[in-house]
Amino acid sequence: MDRSALIALAAALSIAVSTIFPALGQGLAAKAAMESIARQPDAAKDIRSTLIISLSLMEALTIYGLLIGFILAAKV
Amino acid sequence: MGEPSEVLIPIGGVLDVTGEVVAMWVLLALLSVLSVLATRNMKERPGKFQNMVECGIEYLDGFFAGIIGKRLSRKYFFFLGSLFIFIIFANYSGLIPGVGLTKYFAAPTSSLSVTLGLGISTFLFLQIAGLCAGVKHYFKRFISPIAFMLPLMVLDEFIKPASLALRLFGNVFGEETVTHNLYDLLPIGAPVIMMVLSLLFCAIQAVVFTMLTSIYLEEAVEAE
Repeated sequence: MDRSALIALAAALSIAVSTIFPALGQGLAAKAAMESIARQPDAAKDIRSTLIISLSLMEALTIYGLLIGFILAAKV
Repeated sequence: MGEPSEVLIPIGGVLDVTGEVVAMWVLLALLSVLSVLATRNMKERPGKFQNMVECGIEYLDGFFAGIIGKRLSRKYFFFLGSLFIFIIFANYSGLIPGVGLTKYFAAPTSSLSVTLGLGISTFLFLQIAGLCAGVKHYFKRFISPIAFMLPLMVLDEFIKPASLALRLFGNVFGEETVTHNLYDLLPIGAPVIMMVLSLLFCAIQAVVFTMLTSIYLEEAVEAE
């Protein structure tokens, strides 16, 4: 395979693979949040803000992969 | 991040003026004018505009007090509040019609240089706040609970602001790029999908950046 093809493949794999595990983690966090809100509706506001921060911390890992994809796609 | 932003006025390598820098200057001018208008002739019973701005500042103060406590929030509000206001205005400026289409005007935080600058300011702020709160505690923090962790803790001090900057840049740049590609696909109608998502995510990114900074600040300035 020539160089251009390898770089394109690497860019696509970079973003595709780096969404798998953060998505699983975010699903687990959302599951725990929904169970606690169901158990204690009064604490919904605090739980919601904690959930949003946790989701964005995990989102950052996907964004790192996306950035590598952008850098590589420009070099194709 | 593939290609660098196009330079408008080259001032010698590092200090080049790009479209994002111009937008940042316009934003700074706008915020300064708004602040001066709000605090001119401050009265005990405020008029409409001063009341509105006071309402916003009180809400921000309550938000930080909920995270790090009232005393720390009042003491360090000058940095945390400015950071939040700048980031949220800069993120939303990408949604104004026409911004990002030409090279003359683009959202400030869609450039890695701007977000890295914010990250460096946060790094300096955290170190100086930690030093001012107690030099002994500042150094003791690196070797507790166990001295083996020293290299990791030192590395952590650099990684924290870098991850904040990369998260903010990645989100805003990604939004801009997707909007641009949707525009190439179908000029009227398709970018709206991403812009509606942008409405939510821009605010969330501003909140997360500032919330994480305040949590790191509380760690660094732990009251004895």
